[in-house]
Amino acid sequence: MTPSVVFGLPRPEADYLRELVEQYLELVTTPDDPRDPAARRLSPDAYPDDPDAAAEFRELTRDDLAATRAADARLMLAALSSPHDHEGDTEPAAILTLALDAREQTAWLRTLAGLRLVLAERIGISDESIMPVGDPRFDVYEWLGYRQEMLLQSLDA
Amino acid sequence: MGMMSTALPDLDRETDLRAAPDEPWQTVVWNDPVNLMSYVVHVFRTYFGYSRDRATQLMLAVHHDGHAIVAEGPREAMEAHTRAMHEFGLWATVRRGNE
Repeated sequence: MTPSVVFGLPRPEADYLRELVEQYLELVTTPDDPRDPAARRLSPDAYPDDPDAAAEFRELTRDDLAATRAADARLMLAALSSPHDHEGDTEPAAILTLALDAREQTAWLRTLAGLRLVLAERIGISDESIMPVGDPRFDVYEWLGYRQEMLLQSLDA
Repeated sequence: MGMMSTALPDLDRETDLRAAPDEPWQTVVWNDPVNLMSYVVHVFRTYFGYSRDRATQLMLAVHHDGHAIVAEGPREAMEAHTRAMHEFGLWATVRRGNE
């Protein structure tokens, strides 16, 4: 059995992350707008040279894919919402202590990846050399990458 | 038992007794500017069960060559892998192996 990974997340980061994941949950539970490039990126064409096969694949996988993304996001929200505070504390702890089991680890990694893909589309990162420094969404994008990297490192440790 | 036919088949025609070969299909993962290298290695290791070396090799192939074949086999299995890659946020496609 994969052991749980335990780490601390400063409360403001946890709160901000929760807001982002709530938005992500809304996005993935709303029917895809085919004109939205972020939706296209989350569900790319499986058959780029065969529109019929691509449409059929999309039709067959769309609901499951959306359900998986929503379940991942909800697991993450549940972890971020659990107080983990000592009884009797009136103030929430400054650091949220998280213990993620294997299923939750996957949910976090996939949701962080999904969030980054959506943000990348919104701020136009179509190439590794594009770094819209100064755009606050780029800072969020980088921060999510940092958090994902930290999580991966603790899983590998 | 049947009677031997006296009529000889046309022996000049080639007869292939082999079963039609299983068409190999492929799951291909394409480079994208967003997913972290460490994440892609993690996905290849945990989902496909590849060793760290193999997963790293594949990730580098994706990064440097633009894409890599991460699995080969029957079409249904390759579609299932592609769906799983999409769940992870990786850009994956299915194609016939001889393409």
